[in-house]
Formats: sequence, structure tokens, C-alpha cells
Amino acid sequence: MSAIRTQDLSKTYKTLGKAPVHSLSSLDLTVEKGEIFGFLGRNGAGKTTTIKLLTGLIRPTAGTAFLFDKEILSPEARSLVGYMPEQPYFYEYLSPRETLDFYGRLRGLSRDARQREWGYISELLDLREIADRRIRGFSKGMRQRVGFAVAMVGDPPLLILDEPMSGLDPLGRKMIRELMVRLNGMGKTIFFSSHVLADVEEICARVGILVSGRLAASGRITDLVGHIPKSVELEVSGLNDAATSELHSMANRFSSSGDGRCSLVVADMHSANAAAKAVHAAGAELISMHPVMESLEDFFTRIQEGGGVQIPKDTSVAVVAAKAEE
Amino acid sequence: MNRIKAVAENTFRESIRDKVLYVLLFFAVATILGSKVLGWISIGQDIKIIKDICLAAMSIFGTLIAIFVGANLVYKEIDKKTLYTLLAQPMKRYEFMLGKYMGLLAVIVVSLVFMTAGSSLYLWLMGGALNAVWFQSILLIFVKLVLLTAFSILLSTLVSPILGAIIVVSFYVTGHATEVFRDLPPQLDGTISKQALELLYYVIPNLNLFNLQSEAANNVPVAGGYLLYALIYGLAWTALFLVLACMAFEGRDV
Repeated sequence: MSAIRTQDLSKTYKTLGKAPVHSLSSLDLTVEKGEIFGFLGRNGAGKTTTIKLLTGLIRPTAGTAFLFDKEILSPEARSLVGYMPEQPYFYEYLSPRETLDFYGRLRGLSRDARQREWGYISELLDLREIADRRIRGFSKGMRQRVGFAVAMVGDPPLLILDEPMSGLDPLGRKMIRELMVRLNGMGKTIFFSSHVLADVEEICARVGILVSGRLAASGRITDLVGHIPKSVELEVSGLNDAATSELHSMANRFSSSGDGRCSLVVADMHSANAAAKAVHAAGAELISMHPVMESLEDFFTRIQEGGGVQIPKDTSVAVVAAKAEE
Repeated sequence: MNRIKAVAENTFRESIRDKVLYVLLFFAVATILGSKVLGWISIGQDIKIIKDICLAAMSIFGTLIAIFVGANLVYKEIDKKTLYTLLAQPMKRYEFMLGKYMGLLAVIVVSLVFMTAGSSLYLWLMGGALNAVWFQSILLIFVKLVLLTAFSILLSTLVSPILGAIIVVSFYVTGHATEVFRDLPPQLDGTISKQALELLYYVIPNLNLFNLQSEAANNVPVAGGYLLYALIYGLAWTALFLVLACMAFEGRDV
């Protein structure tokens, strides 16, 4: 059973007198139980629309989605999900303790259960010191912690977080990252959207990338970015002038230390092999050769620019960027 | 039911922090106390005038509370994005709407009890009689506010607070004048205007039905049957507005 499964999920906003806006088009996505899934895309790509659809805040124009096989619009589905919106807002006149109690009541928890939840969540998120202070005066990081706490009320197996690291300082981001990993270790499935690719790369096994409301790519990060070197670095010594000149013409970047030792960067493995042959033919020594693999950021940028994506045949990665662009 | 209660308690807690409520209550009390001034200039009629003005103050300021707190209620939740985490809970949308309504109604009840206590005390100090028709007229003001609060909530799901307030005020004024639409002058017989205005008589609740000010001021007893009819009439319209509010909110994207 998947934690999230969407089928042809679409959302179009229609405003009288204006052209319809297709915020999300035919999204087919599966998030497995127990994984941390990163949902990426530029502003306006459709990430928040997808999250709002999954949490029942808006209705799909077409298609459907399921959370643990429960249809998204049913209250049963919502009892399985904890949701934190981007920049969570709560009643300013309530304290964190009162806020959690209120949400516990909405989830139908008994008074004892609510007290137990408070004890557990407040300790996990370090809320004890601010337990009875009004949310009105809270900083962004403190509000984020309360947002996380609310998402955890009722111990839902799935957490859907919209930009959980948005606007946080490096320590705040680290805290949220660690918390997500810890909760994942406790068996929770986590689906979150983010702009911070380094964070995503650090904690996610799989990602999905939206471009203009369409899923451009999804799969394991290692499958998406790990197979194609974006360039190859070589270090060489003992070059004569002729060989130096030849390698210089093959390289994208070339630097020489003047003692016959030089380093160069070539575009791909084919050029790297040609360069290595030239080094051997000149009787010089190839000290090292490193393929520089593509990062998630490189992959993301390429997808946004509509670049083609080459994926090895033996992976199950779904890449639909080219189709989407057509 | 527990969810409705939780939302209602929270709405009550939120509404009693609204400064508008206290401004309106202040003016209500000022109007009630000021009724003595008009009593002085109407020779020998001061008790009648005090009763009349006190009941009018309760009706108007109660309505203003329903408008200014109610029309803003759901809109504010969307505007401040507090609705996102609420509707993502395993709660039906009608439970949220009914909770909001009950919470606002509790504010109206507390305000009306406050104004009733103040007016009754003032009337008693001025030597007026606190008879059955006095309290019956307050009961019907309450029923009218129950209805107006439901209408206010319906509008808060559909339009902005300012437009909502304008519509409720128009509704209040028109609702007190529906009989005019029925008793049109004969010059209009056979015209489309007459048919359209007569239609309005049937589609706008007759709020004058809840107006017992003149009976209370003149100590004229009111029949039990009339009270029962007004009560059922008010609750039926309230139920209709609440059903429409729930339906409007059910399909709304937030």
C-alpha cells in the first residue's frame, strides 16, 4: 500500500473573464510508505496546489488521489495525515499548549490522550519553555516548531510539509532536517516541498520535480543524477610543449603550473579518453582522472531549462520532461 | 459534536477579544442610558420612551455585532490562513461552519444578556414595570439575531466582509419593510414592478414579525400563538441560511 497515490490529478482555476490557469496537469505520483519524498519546483510550479489537493483544502478538477488507499476528500484520509502549511498561522491569542489541545479535540482525542500527546510532542520539539506563552510574539522558528507540533497531533503516519525550511536560519533548517530524519526513523512517511536543494539531497531518497504544473521527473536522486558525469577532471605531469598545446585545445578549462604539470577539465568521458591517449602518446603521466557527477541542483536546472534527460535503461526513473515540453 | 463544540468555544474566545464588540456594547449602554434624555422631552411618556429606545438599542446593536463579528468570521480565517490547518483535520466542513455559528451565537447571547440586564435594571430604577411582554419582546429580538447571524455567516463564506456588511444592513432594513411590498398602492396594479416587489415579500424574511417594541412600550399582552409562530418562522429561516452556508462552504477552495 502506498502512502500517497495520485492518478491524473489536475487542478484548473477558472476566473470569469480570464483565461483558465492550469495549476496542475495530470499528476501521476506514488510515494511509498516509510520514505522521505522531496517535492521540487520553482515558484508557481504547482507544489502548493498539489499539497492543498492532498490535504482536501481544494478540490481536483480531474483525477483523484489516495492516502493509504483512502480517497483524499474523506475525513478518514485526513486522519492519516499531519499537515504543515508554508508559514503556518495559528490563533495568535492561544499558547502552544492550548493550540495542541484544540487540534487534539478536532482529531477527537480524549483529554488524557491530549495530555499524553502534549507531553510527548513538547519534549520532542522542545516546546516546554514556551508552553504557555501567546503565539503572537513568536519568531519564525518558534512558529515553525508549533506548526510541526500541530502536524504531529494524533500521531498520523504521513506528514505533508509545505516548505518546512522556508525563511529559517541555518540552525533552524538543521533542526527541521534532523527532526524529519528522526520522525522518518520512527516510521513516518514524509512528503515535503522545498526550494533548498541541498537539504533535499541530504535527507531524501526520492524526489519529484514539477515544471509548469507537470511532473517533469521523479525517482531516486541517485538514479536521476548519478549516471552522467557533467565533466571529467584530469591531472597530468611531464607534458612537452606539443602535447600541452593539443590538450589545451581539447579542454574546456586548462591550467598549467609551469613545471610540466597541468590540470584540465573536459566535457565528457569520450573527450577524457581521447585526452588520456594523447598523454600516453606524448610519454607523459596521467596522475588522476575524476568524473564530476551531476548534482541535484544541476539536474534541477537542466530540467527547468527544458534540457533532455538521459537515464540508463535499467533504472525505473520516470522522466517526462521532454513530453511535457512538447 | 465534540468538534463543533471545540470550534464554537474557540470562536467565542476569539470574538470576545474583538474590540469592535466592546465599542458596540459601549454605544448600546450609552444609548440605553441616553433614553432618559428623550424621556424628559416627552412629557409623561418617559417610561414608554425608555422601553422603546432600550429595545431598539438591543435590536440594532445586536445586529451590528452579528454583522461586524459574523461577516468577518470565515473570511478572516481564510485571510490569515488559520483555515488551512483546521480543514486539513479529520473534520467535516459543516462541523466547522456550525461551530463558527454556535460560537458567534454564544457571543450574541452574552451581549444580549448584558444589554437586557442593563436595560432592565435601568427601567426598574426609573420606576418602569418589568412585565412579561418586556421579556417576550427581548426573546423575539434574540430570535431575529439568531436569524441574522446565520445570514451573516452565509455571506462570510461568499463575499468580502465589507460587501457582506452592506448586504446584511440592506437585508435588515428591507426585512423590516417587507409589508410595504405586499401593500403596494393600486396605481401599480398589473405592472411588472408590483410582481417583482411582491416576490420580494416572499423571499425576504419579515423581520417586523419579531418587533414587539410598541406592545412592550404600551404594555399590550402578546398571544402565545403569535410568539410560537414567530419562533418557528425565525428558526426555519435560520435553518435554511445555515444549510446554504454549509453547502457554499463545502465546495469552496481555500
